[in-house]
Amino acid sequence: MDELSTIGFAPGQSPLHQLDPRTKQALLMGLSAISPWGRLTFLVSLSVVILLSFRAAGIRLSRLIGDIRYFLLFLLFVFVVRTVTFSGGWIPNISVELAGEALMVCWRLLMVVSMGALLMATTRAADIRAALVWYLKPIPVVDEKMAATMVGLVVRFLPVILFQAAEISDAQRARGIERRKNPLSRLMIFSLPLFRRVFLSADELVAAMQARCYSEHRTLPDLSFSRHDGLAIGAGILISLTVLFP
Amino acid sequence: MAVLAWRGPQDNTVSIIQTTHLYHRFADDTQGLCDVSLAFNEGEFTVIAGANGSGKTTLLRHLNGLLLPESGAVTVCGKSVEEDPMAARQQVGMVFQDADSQIVGETVYDDAAFGPENLALGRLQINRRVTRALEAVDLCGFENKRPHHLSGGEKRRLAIAGVLAMAPRVLLMDEPFSNLDYPATCLVLDQILNLHSNGHTIIITTHDLEKVVAHAQRLVVMADGRVVEDGLPTEVIDGVARYGIRPPCSVQLGKGIRPWMS
Repeated sequence: MDELSTIGFAPGQSPLHQLDPRTKQALLMGLSAISPWGRLTFLVSLSVVILLSFRAAGIRLSRLIGDIRYFLLFLLFVFVVRTVTFSGGWIPNISVELAGEALMVCWRLLMVVSMGALLMATTRAADIRAALVWYLKPIPVVDEKMAATMVGLVVRFLPVILFQAAEISDAQRARGIERRKNPLSRLMIFSLPLFRRVFLSADELVAAMQARCYSEHRTLPDLSFSRHDGLAIGAGILISLTVLFP
Repeated sequence: MAVLAWRGPQDNTVSIIQTTHLYHRFADDTQGLCDVSLAFNEGEFTVIAGANGSGKTTLLRHLNGLLLPESGAVTVCGKSVEEDPMAARQQVGMVFQDADSQIVGETVYDDAAFGPENLALGRLQINRRVTRALEAVDLCGFENKRPHHLSGGEKRRLAIAGVLAMAPRVLLMDEPFSNLDYPATCLVLDQILNLHSNGHTIIITTHDLEKVVAHAQRLVVMADGRVVEDGLPTEVIDGVARYGIRPPCSVQLGKGIRPWMS
């Protein structure tokens, strides 16, 4: 089980690794929330910062692209749907104006996913969980520890599921799955063993956690803001201000 | 079958875990355990042997409170596991057969700290326990490594460290040598023997007696969910083949039980 995926945590000493998880979550939420209003200046600035952050965190872009390849296909689908129109007949029309807008939409979505991948690659699940408890605590109706546990488990499990999916896919290709042309049948053949393995792994993980006295009232990591967090928030505000420019 | 009772830490002979007429039936109606009555003494090194499906893992999961009996009882330090499974899990640590399924943390430190964090200990105490546990299994300096990048033997030792960090009195190990190469098996066996010499009660399940039986003080043989033999390894070993367990080579050659590792 070599590199699980970019989306899993990779230990390191980069500036992003050293930021408080609350700061990283705030930046992710804030920049994602304003991204629908962002135009070219905002998207270019954000892209540059994200690319530099990936480089600083030691994450190869080729790995990220490999990990989110299905999402990239989804973006391509969104782009085509928003660009191609059928006005009154079967002949498709492609408008440059619509293509520009569709590109913006896809670019925004890609930025949000990239920021999420950066957060997960540079933050331990336990820290993400602790930050979430901190954010949810003031909300009266939400059981913050339960919610944070669920998110923590998803974060913990996602790279494992991706690894299992890749392993099943390799095993099926080794037995010539490509020769089956029916995509529905291929989907069934792929998803059934994947679900079975995911559920079995989930059972084993629950037993292992229970064996080590898992409870919601556990010691959370110590979180503390530093000068770096102030600088990161400042940089985040500067990027946010670029939404005012075209 | 005689069962020793828990007599408290002041007495000389202490059964730290006891099962009394334990039965377990799975959801598909298969009988997992049938009338298992055993007592494990403090500081004892026990090997539970049996073919696949003989009920070894099911028994271990009962000792740790992961499974609860259909009928019968399991007690740890005199307390019913059914009434307080969390207390049992603190006293009885379990190392799973598949180390990958036991690893919860993203780094070696995170994984070793998982148990103490669940016990809501302070951060200083957690750090102390993690350091001590990693030292005990020779994993110092691995704290920031990703567990999934470790070798099979290192993962197994991390799984042991994760349990040791909870400071249990008993260590249950389910097939601890499965899928390990020769050097990794030697290292894990060496760690287990060290833990035993430091006073831990060790209970190991295996279908391969070769590696460990020479060090055991007691050999329990299971078949079809029942305990069919229980005694000193030298007394029990000759009859194990009839339960689908391969006797060690030295026994087959008529040389008695010999240590596997020189």
